[in-house]
Amino acid sequence: MKTIYYFFLRIITFILTILLSFTLIFIILQFVPASIVELLIASYRSKGQYYDPKAIIELRERLYELFGLGGNIVDQYFRFLNRFVLLEFGSSLIAFPTPVKEIIALRLPWTVGLLSITAIISWIMGNILGVLASERSSAISRTLRAIAVTLYPIPYYIFALVLIFIFSYLIPLFPLIGGITTVSPSLTIYDMVYLIKSSILPALSIIIVSGFGWWFLSSSSLAQVVQNEDFYKFAILRGLSSNLILKRYTLRNVILPQITALGLALGGIFSGALLVEVVFAYPGLGYLLYRAILGGDIPTTLGILSLSVIGVSAATLILDLIYPLLDPRVRHR
Amino acid sequence: MISVVKRIMKIIKSDVKVYVGTLIFILLLIFALISFLAPSWHKAWYFLPRDQLPQLSSDPTYWLGTTTNGRSVFWSLARATLNSLIIGLVAATLAAHIGLILGILAGLRSGVIGAIIMMLADVFITIPPLPLHVVLVTIFKEYISLPLLGLIFVIPSSWAWPARQIRALVTSLREREFILTSLLSGNTTRRILLNEIFPYTFGWHLVNFLNTVLFAIGSEAGLAILGLSLMREDTLGMMIYWIIYFNPLYRGIWWWVIPPIVVLILIFVSLYLISTGLQDYFNLRFKR
Repeated sequence: MKTIYYFFLRIITFILTILLSFTLIFIILQFVPASIVELLIASYRSKGQYYDPKAIIELRERLYELFGLGGNIVDQYFRFLNRFVLLEFGSSLIAFPTPVKEIIALRLPWTVGLLSITAIISWIMGNILGVLASERSSAISRTLRAIAVTLYPIPYYIFALVLIFIFSYLIPLFPLIGGITTVSPSLTIYDMVYLIKSSILPALSIIIVSGFGWWFLSSSSLAQVVQNEDFYKFAILRGLSSNLILKRYTLRNVILPQITALGLALGGIFSGALLVEVVFAYPGLGYLLYRAILGGDIPTTLGILSLSVIGVSAATLILDLIYPLLDPRVRHR
Repeated sequence: MISVVKRIMKIIKSDVKVYVGTLIFILLLIFALISFLAPSWHKAWYFLPRDQLPQLSSDPTYWLGTTTNGRSVFWSLARATLNSLIIGLVAATLAAHIGLILGILAGLRSGVIGAIIMMLADVFITIPPLPLHVVLVTIFKEYISLPLLGLIFVIPSSWAWPARQIRALVTSLREREFILTSLLSGNTTRRILLNEIFPYTFGWHLVNFLNTVLFAIGSEAGLAILGLSLMREDTLGMMIYWIIYFNPLYRGIWWWVIPPIVVLILIFVSLYLISTGLQDYFNLRFKR
């Protein structure tokens, strides 16, 4: 019964999160001065594209609607919510008649792939290394700690530049700007090798910083807390093997809070990963966002925004729903 | 006054991390302040010969070479460091104080108000910050300035972490005996807040402040990569933007690429060292 109540509460929070964030965006957009729409239209025209008057009137109406300007505010609000939840942003401007939904759907697998692989690898690696390093204080664990403290505060996209400098300029293993040009590659071996080769550096810049920095530091400090507990000392006095203590006592107690931490950190990881994509011209949502901003494509920008809010909240929800299945304390309460 | 300086010196010397961090940060600060000596033309494009190698001379203009758009790397870097620190300062001053006030409020009023504040904080922590910043900057592009950019980074999440932190601290403090003693001795809530709770929150407030400076400088660099920072000013993010734009590594112009990255990393590492060092220090004191 408790578990069902927990699930119910968590799902309500998820819906509330999405509603609240979209309401916040709606309120922000209410402050948009109407003249900004004219400015935007002027900037489209100054880019040398030809629009016939009808198209301009249509564009103006669409922008007014997207920004939620004019009309009855309650009506506007519900239409706005509908648009954001269902990603109905009409056609994009950078690839004109193609709907925003389709462009995003094309890029989504790239971002989800990069993000999930790097998040899982770095989380597992960082946690295991962090726990191991806290078990004994050798020279290696001290060095690892020092490296972690240095890496921890660096954003992925800055570290990405360091990696480019080292592995593309000093030791030219990877192309300087090696962007994957095709969005949907064919499945030949040559393409796959090329794809993997150009994904290595973006993945590494996330894995190294979040694995060796974030998860390493947090898990090793959590492990130190466990090592000060009475049950841990008792386990040593009982003469249990250090291997068993590590698996049964330390790792178990570290992993659980780290799942919650992953949920909380996901928003930040996501934002960082979008920017890493821009640095490497990796064809995911981040790079699409970059191109949409350059092209002044507001429907696509808003589409990516609303998808990322929904996506990150959903991922956090899933993590939280898995949690009671893993933690016996929550289950049996 | 002297006693305050002495106490600060004691804290700095108490931990290697704080000591090293402060040292690096002071050097960075001096470097940032040097930018006030920059010649009047330091913002002009194509004023200097392009792509000059770094060279030692009496004029610091050429110490770090020149860029492809004919500017001195040294002067733009100094100004960029200053501007990035200003953005961080504005964001952190606002976010840390909003967080402090909301955190104390949520800690003291554990009823409906506290629950609402904490729920809002949790919601804002889950929202990825970058897309919201992008929307805000695109919309207010015409009005954007250094302080406004700092203000934007306060929304949505940078106040939420400090608020959670301070609330946890206050809730734990509230249960302590000395607060009860103080209350039973007839002290008013205001006095307890000022005399008993604030001294404890101060250390964490400082840590939160430093972390928000980090977050804001990092966010600015991120927005700049997307081409959404202040185009007409030098910030560390804008230097990265121009590097990505001109791609000087193709032509082997490493002296333009290394300095902003090194300064950014030094800022991140030095502030983080200070903040974790302080965290350890205040944690020890809190437990005592």
